[in-house]
This record gives sequence, C-alpha cells and structure tokens, in this order.
Amino acid sequence: MNPELLPWIILLLPLTSAVVITLFTRGSKGLSAGISIGAIATAFVASIILFAKTGGGSLLGPLLNLEWINLQELKLGDEHNFIINFGFKIDALSQLMLLIVTGVGTAIHVFSWGYMHEDRSVPRYFASLSLFCFSMLGIVLANNLMMMFIFWELVGVSSYLLIGFWFEKPSAADAAKKAFLTNRIGDFGFMLGILMVWGLVGTMSFDGIAAALAKNPAALGTMGTVAGLLIFCGAMGKSAQFPLHVWLPDAMEGPTPVSALIHAATMVAAGVFLLCRVFVVFTPDALTVIGWIGAITALIAALMAVQQNDIKRILAYSTLSQLGYMVMAVGTGGVVLGQGPSAAMYHLTTHAFFKAMLFLGAGSVIHACHHEQDIWQMGGLKKKMPVTYWTFLIGTLALAGVPPFSGFYSKDAILAAALEANKGWFVIAALVALLTTFYMSRLFIVAFLGKPRSESAEHAHESPGIMSFPLIALAIPSVLAGVFGINHLLDHQFGVEGHGSHGPVAELFAPFGHSPFAAIFGVLAVVFGVSFAFALYGNAEKDPLPKTLGLFARAMARRFYFDEIWSFLIRITHEALSYVADFIDRWLVSGLMVRGTHGSFEIAGRALRLLQSGNIQTYALLFVAGLVVVLLIVLK
Amino acid sequence: MSLLLTTLISVPLIAALIVALIPGNFRFIIRLVALGATLVSLGLAVAAFVQFQPQGFDPAKLATFQMQHKVAWITSDVININYHVGVDGISIGLLLMAAIVAFAATSVSWEIKTGEKTFYLLLLLMTGGAFGAFCSLDLFFFYFFNELALVPTFIMIGVWGRGPQKNYATYQITLYLTLGAMLALVGLIALYVSAGVDSLDIVTLKEALSKKALSSGAQSVIFPLLLFGFGILVGLFPFHSWAPLGYAAAPTATAMMHAGVLKKAGLYAIIRVALPLMPEGVAKWMPVLAVLCVGNIIYCGWVAMRQKDLNMLIGNSSVAHMGFVFLGIASESLIGLTGAVVIMVAHGLLAALSYGLSGYVYNTTGTLKMDELGGLLRKMPFIGVAMVMCFMAGCGLPGFANFNGEMLVMVGAWKVLPNIVVFAAWGGLVISGIYMLRAIRSVLHGPAQARTEKVGEFVIKEPLPASEGGLGFLGAITAFFHSALGGGVWQLWRKLPYALLLASLILFGCFPSLLTSKIKGSIAEVVNLSHKVSPAKATAVAPTPAPLNVADTRN
Repeated sequence: MNPELLPWIILLLPLTSAVVITLFTRGSKGLSAGISIGAIATAFVASIILFAKTGGGSLLGPLLNLEWINLQELKLGDEHNFIINFGFKIDALSQLMLLIVTGVGTAIHVFSWGYMHEDRSVPRYFASLSLFCFSMLGIVLANNLMMMFIFWELVGVSSYLLIGFWFEKPSAADAAKKAFLTNRIGDFGFMLGILMVWGLVGTMSFDGIAAALAKNPAALGTMGTVAGLLIFCGAMGKSAQFPLHVWLPDAMEGPTPVSALIHAATMVAAGVFLLCRVFVVFTPDALTVIGWIGAITALIAALMAVQQNDIKRILAYSTLSQLGYMVMAVGTGGVVLGQGPSAAMYHLTTHAFFKAMLFLGAGSVIHACHHEQDIWQMGGLKKKMPVTYWTFLIGTLALAGVPPFSGFYSKDAILAAALEANKGWFVIAALVALLTTFYMSRLFIVAFLGKPRSESAEHAHESPGIMSFPLIALAIPSVLAGVFGINHLLDHQFGVEGHGSHGPVAELFAPFGHSPFAAIFGVLAVVFGVSFAFALYGNAEKDPLPKTLGLFARAMARRFYFDEIWSFLIRITHEALSYVADFIDRWLVSGLMVRGTHGSFEIAGRALRLLQSGNIQTYALLFVAGLVVVLLIVLK
Repeated sequence: MSLLLTTLISVPLIAALIVALIPGNFRFIIRLVALGATLVSLGLAVAAFVQFQPQGFDPAKLATFQMQHKVAWITSDVININYHVGVDGISIGLLLMAAIVAFAATSVSWEIKTGEKTFYLLLLLMTGGAFGAFCSLDLFFFYFFNELALVPTFIMIGVWGRGPQKNYATYQITLYLTLGAMLALVGLIALYVSAGVDSLDIVTLKEALSKKALSSGAQSVIFPLLLFGFGILVGLFPFHSWAPLGYAAAPTATAMMHAGVLKKAGLYAIIRVALPLMPEGVAKWMPVLAVLCVGNIIYCGWVAMRQKDLNMLIGNSSVAHMGFVFLGIASESLIGLTGAVVIMVAHGLLAALSYGLSGYVYNTTGTLKMDELGGLLRKMPFIGVAMVMCFMAGCGLPGFANFNGEMLVMVGAWKVLPNIVVFAAWGGLVISGIYMLRAIRSVLHGPAQARTEKVGEFVIKEPLPASEGGLGFLGAITAFFHSALGGGVWQLWRKLPYALLLASLILFGCFPSLLTSKIKGSIAEVVNLSHKVSPAKATAVAPTPAPLNVADTRN
C-alpha cells in the first residue's frame, strides 16, 4: 500500500467513527463503543506501520499536500497571493506524537468502556471522544499554521463537549464554558501571530517558514519577537500556562478518562508541540519570556497542588506544573545553542504515559469508592486494589523522577538544560522537583496506605479487567520509555549533534555521565520530598500543613486567588463596556433617534391637523391673515 | 441565452399568483404549493450553481456574465430599461443560499395558524424578489425586486409578529429601511444622470465608466449615498438598532428570509455597483467604513453580551457578523473581498438556522427569555444539538463556512488595516465566544426549568382540520398527504430544514473552494476596477504607477 495513504487513514478513521455514531448508532451503547475503540486502535496500528515504513523519518508526496483554498491572482499584483493547503507534515516529531495520541488514546478508550458503560449517554461520549482524536491528530499532522489553527479550534470544542459531558450539572457546564473561553483568549493571540508571520514571510507552511528563515535569518525583522510571543499565546491557552492556567483544574468536572486523555496526555501537550513545531520562529528574547512563563507556571502550580484534597485536582495541578516544566524546557532551547526543544518533547512523551496512567488509576479508585474524590476519605486501598496500587506506585515514581523510571530521564534532560541556560530556572526546576515528589507522596500515602477512613473506602474492590488492563498497558512504557532512545530520535529531528544510542544499559546511566550535577540534584529532590511526606503524613488523620503554614496554605488551597482576579478583570472591562453599549443602544440610538424621528413627525402631524379643522371660519381667518401678510410684503 | 434564471425567478412569483387564487381555507394545499415552489426553485438554483463555470481574470477585458437573458422593456432616446438577468461568481453563491433559505423558511412556517394565504403569498413574493435582486443586471430591476422583497417584511411583522415590542419594532424597521432605500435610490438616479449612457444596465455602465470615469465630484457624492443607503439596509453601525428588534418581533420565516437573504442584497449592491464604478469614492470612503465596521464587530458584540432574550442576542450577533463583511469590503483586496462574499453566503445560512431554531424553541416553550429556559439539550436532542452547532458556527468554529470567510477577511485586511484586524480578531474569537457560550449555557445546558420541564420535540398534535376534510377531491389529496407525512416521515420532514441548513454550512466549511474558486475571478475584476483612479489623479498623487497591474483600458 502507498504509505501516503496511511496519514489519511489515521486522521479520517476517528472522524468517520464520530459521524457514524452520531448519525446511526446512537441507540446502541456497545456498538458505539466498539466503533470508536476500533477506529482508534486501527489508527494506532496504522501509526506503527507508518513509523516502521519510514523509520521515524520524513515522508513527502503529492497526496500529502492537497490544495484547500487558492486565492492567487498574480495578474493583480504580488500581494494577491494566498494559498492554503490541506497537508501533512510527516517527520519524527509528528510520528512520535501520532504514536502517543493513538497509543495512549487506545488504552483510554478501552478504559472508558469499563468506566462509563452505565451512563445513559455512552454513544455521545464515544462520538465526542472520536471527534477529539480526529482534531488532535489533525494538529499533529498539520503542515501549515492555518491548518493547525483549524484543528486547534476543533480540539478546543471537543474538549468543551467532553468537559461539559454532564451538562445538566451546573458546575460542569460552567467549567466547559470557562475552558473554552480561556482558550479563546489564547487563540486570539495565536491568530494574530499567524497573520503576522504570514505578513512578514508570505507563507503559512512550516517548511516555507523554515526555508525563508534559513535563507534570511532576519526575515522576521524587529517584529519577530512579537510574532513569536503571539503564537506562544496559543500555546499558553491550550497548555494552560500562567496566567491562562485557570481553566485546567475546573476541567476535572469531565469524566475521569477524559481528564486522562485530554487534560493530561494530549490536548494540553498540544501547546508544547506547537512550540516545538514552530521553534525556528522564536527569537532568543521570545524564548527567554517563554522560559520564564513556564518556570512560573511550574512553581505556582506545584505549590497549589500541595494543598489540594481532591485526587483529580492534585493530578490536575501536577499536570499544570509539568507542562510549565516542558514550556520552560522549550525556553532553554534558545539559550543552549543548537539544542532545540528536544528535552521538552522528551518529557512530553514520558509524561503522557505516566500521567494518563495516574489519571486512569485515579478513575479506578473513584469508581471503586463510589465516586468519592477526597483523598482524606480514602486510605488502605493497597490490599483492596492491588493492580491499581502497583500501577499508581509506578506512575508516582515516574512522575517524581526516580531512576530508572522514565520520568527521571526526561526530567533530568530538562534539569541539565536549565543548568546550562539559566541558573534561576535551574533553582526553580529543582524546587519544583522537590515539591512534585512531596505532593505525589502525600497523595499516595494518604490514599493507598494506612487504614480506610470511610465507609466507601472500606468496601472498595479492584476494578474489572477492562479497566485494569489499560493500566498495565500504560505502566510498561512508563517504566521503560527512558531507555528506548526517544531522546536520540528527537535530537535528530532538531539537528542536535547526537551522542547516539549505546544500548539500553548505557542509557540507564547516561544522565550521570552527561550532567552529573543535574542528575544528583534530581535524585536529592526525590529523597527529600519522600522523607518530608512520610514525616508529615505517615500516620496523619488530617492534613497538618494548614496549621503550620497558616495563611500561605490557604492561599495555596485557594489557587492564589487567580480565579477571583480574572473575574474581577472581566467584570471591570467587558461587563462594564457591554453595559454601556447596551445602554447607548437602548436609549440613545433607538430611543432618541428613532422615537425622536417618530415623535417629531407625530408632532408635525398634530400641528398640521389643527390647520385642517374643516371649520369655514378658521379657513376664512387664515385666508385673511395670509392676505394681510402678502399685502404687507408687496406694499412695503 | 439561457432561460434558467428567468424560470428561477418566476417559479415563486407564479406560485404566489396561484396561492392568490386558492380559497383561504384550503390551508394545506396553500402550504403545499408554497413548499413545492420553493423546492423547485431550490433545484433550479442547485442546477445553476453546478452549471456555473469558474471564470479566469483578464485585466485587459471585462468579464462576462453567465446564463444571461435580456429582454428590452423601455427603449427610447432618453431612457433604456431592460429586463436583463445573469450571474457571476459573486451572485451565484448568494442565489443558491437564497434558495436554500427560502425552502427552509417555508418548511418551518407551520407555526403560522392564521391568515396562511396572505402569509404564504407574501413569503413567495419575498422569495421571488430576492432571486430577482441577485440576478438582475439592470439596476432598475435590481431596485424593483429588492423592494418587492422588502415591503412584505413590514406587513409580516405587523400582522404575524410577536412580543410586546411588535409595533415599535415595525416602526423602527420601516423607518430605517425606507430611509436606506431612499438614499440608495437617490444615489442610483444620480449615477444614471452623471454616467450619461442613458442606461442602468450594469454591463453598459461598467464598460462606459472603465473608459471614462465619473468626475471626482460626482463620485464623492454618489459613493457615500450608495454606501450608507445600502449600508443601512444591512445594519451598518450606527444604523443597526432596527435589526435585532425587528427580528425579535418577526415571525420565524420572515426573520430567516430577511436576516439571511434580504440583508445581503445591500452588501451585494455595494460590491456590485459602488466598488467597481467609483474608484475615487472607494479611496475616500474606505477608511471611514473600516472604522465603522469596528463598531459593528465590537460594539454590537458587547450589546449582544447583555441581551436577556435569545432572539435579541442572535440579532445583535448577526449585526456583529456584518462587520466582518464590511471589513472585507474595506480591505479592497482579493482575499478580503472574497472572504466577504463567503461570509455573505455563510451568514445567510447561519442566520436562517439560528432564527429557525429559536422560532422552534419559542413555539414549544412559549418564551425566549434565557433565564426561563434551560436544559433543552436533554429535552430536545435534535434541536439542541443543531443549536449547539449553530452557535459554535456563530463564534467562528472551523468546519463551518463562517470561519473560512472570517479567516479570509482577516488575512486580506491584515496588510492594509492591521489595527482593525486586531479588533476584529478580538470580536470574532473572544466576544462572540462569550455571548454564544452564554446562550448555550443558559438555554441548553443546566437543569430543566419550570417552562422546559415538560416539553418535547416533534410531537404530533393536531388532527386534520374538519374544514379541509369534507371538500371532495381536494380534501382527499389533502388527507392523503397528511397521513403520508404522519409518524416517522413527519418527524424527518420537520427536521429537514434544519438539517439542510447545517449540511450546507458544513459542506462550504470543509470545502471552501466550492465557493472561492467561483468567486475569485469576479472579485478580481472588482478589485482591479476599484483601484483604478483616473490618470490625472494617479500622476498627481503618486508618480509611480498604481500598485495594481492595470493593463490599460483607460484612455
């Protein structure tokens, strides 16, 4: 088979599934789930075949670049030149993402069937999930900025549909709205960034932009930094970077598998993917800003996570924090010359596996505890849910960065890059690593160890095979992803002088040889984090921190009041302006102008009516008066 | 010569005549005639759309219209008026859109329960007028058809309208639209006089004026008359307040036809007449238009955010969308103007869909106050899903045709009016998102309210009225169709207009070149002509040749 057809199959299968479910199989839960799972699983197989056929390299061909809009009329002049293609860019970066999205996606689809099968709207759920996969794969495959923006928006809307899946619950409906609007603010910047790049370079295709910049590095001129930062706005929305991070924790109102797929592994990673895709556009100044935004996000989110009690929210803040890590890593790529953002992509990959698994584990726990999400109502789940326990443990260790789990290697790559790029970032990164270990250990100790603290935890039991199997499937790459050599694939993509892989065993110890200082700090952070957590929570019945930290703990729990700040800002700007505009419309434009016209005509009409009374005497009087006036004028 | 367009225009007009001859109590037959006529014209419009060949652009000669049909009407030394129809890339899409909307509007008119005969008569006149306006190449007939379509609006709102503000809305809409039409008429007459070719035929005018342009003085008077005259018909800021009010009070079909189709005739006239014939007017007035369109996009968006009535929200958002068309016009670029035409088609479908759906909600729940509605997505799955898609299309979601238009407008305007584009992007992405999602949140999401607790969708209620049952042959036909449309078929039938509008939006959204490839050639000519400043002026202003390649047809 022509390999050029493979991307089309991968992209269109989930779309077909969404359409078929919506139009034809709304009545059958099993059939809908089967179609959706089948579509994503087939797409996964196709992605593997594509990877095997191209060896993870690039693929070009006429079928991969079809014309979508052509508004070129050179007879009118050179500026009337606008062509957008519907095309795919197949290279190591997109292939890696394809494998993540379809692979993790398959596991989560299967898990979903177990988790959701009692809900009455299962077909709608799977249709939305398929729509999401289609949109996400579109982002991954896009070969130009406009195509990316189109799928970017579609991802936004599928996320909206899934967060608001239980739309009758006001909190879910509000969370969906908030997520969509926050993303829209980012997309506003993204759109302007696209326009600006197009205006400066004259093309929207990634290859075209890269070629133009390779020919003339100053092609973007003085506006380059602005254009880059505007594009970064898009990433800030999707990847929930400070200060647009507020939507992600609320998004946990959606079903847990959705949180695993969209708000941990794929959609939120799209921002980081975008940054890697258009990395050439960013000037060093822009990258410095990006790095700091990432560092701030990583730090504040980690602090917020320390004081959350909802199992999904802890994971949500942890996701925020890790996304900040990745964005910071993109920032380092500009300072460490020739390095590129490969550390960010590396962490994105490993994080996708273990974070999705952690969310699914949380889903399994929630399912077992009858929709209890407060970790202080759990406890002692170790014996009751062994599979969930072990996989959750693996996920925690990977997220904390314990060697030889995958998270250690990718986190180490970021620490090493930060150490080289900016000492401030390194300090923050190390601190965040410490906090990460701390809050994850806290979650793990409180929820799984000790004794059950509630009725529902007492009666918890292991989830069925359809839910535990995906957990195991995700646990394998969570452990091993560090030694596959993904980093070398990425180094190759970004043109870094690679060291080359020396086999799995050498990879196991590579960080200590490459940048021992960073690696040692990483390990120390883990050791301290775990010890603090055990010291505080080893036998705790409730959280001791609010007492010791006082106000600061409350600020952490209340997310540093960002939501309040945002709603205040919206109130004093848009709400006020819309009030004024409505007032003007109602009372000045339609009131004064229309009623005024209407009224003046009416008054004129009434006045004229007095003249036409039909009374002969009045007419005679007016006639005489008129005569007198005329005579006066004539005789004067 | 082709009779296709003439047939298309006459089908609804003849049907109107037939309806006039049927006794008023044969309600079902009347409805059937109206539906049949709009269905046939939809078929004809699709045929015309498919037959239309995309044209290339050649700066050396003027483009020709396709499917022309010309009949001399008044021929004399001083005045020549012809019945002359034809289409080019600008009008063909609008024509198709008008036919789709007309069919959908007729299909949803089952809500009309009194005076059906007059109602359908007016609706068919409106439809014929709209077709005529988009096909006419003689400006006399353009104006005639446009008025033929506009006047029924006032009557329909006055008689079948709803809500406490009905009379006020009728005042306002009549006042504004008459004012706009008058200004435009003065402009057209002035154009006739100053062009001096004794004709209002657009082809003749274009030929004559591209050889010898209008004097600067004439252009600077006529252009604003046409721009604001037709602009008022579209709801150009600050002459927009009639639109939301009028639509909120109008019966569903009227709102669909007016907001969807008739409004576009004003924009169409600006693009067809004002831009190519008066390049100096363009140069002078476009900056003004660029500022006013921000008023539409941002200001009307804010107003929409405050609305408590769903129809008022849709109305204001519809006015806001018109801002994008004005921005496309103001950009004077191939990309921007093409985008403007795409939005005209897309918004026609979208506005019709929004009003069709809100009309359905009004008929089932009896209210459109958003705080009294809620949870409709569960109660009315089909209408609810269609509404979510419709509102998403309204806030510029890719996949629906509106996005393509807005995107093209922003791209086209970026190099000339970057500051305006910043506002447009904010309005199109953020403000529209705020009010559309608010509408979804309060109407469709959330728990059901008292009003929406017991509603369902597509419930068959009324049996066949007795008056129609006992009328012999005709009664038998009526009864046959009525029973044939029962049950599942009946449900599908009720869903059809919404599904048709949605499908068209998605079709043009996913395959924009269906429209753009047709529009491109014709717009290229408009852009070329509108940049042609008279030679004396060009040398006086700028010694370098004009930026566009104007292969000389001027003296």
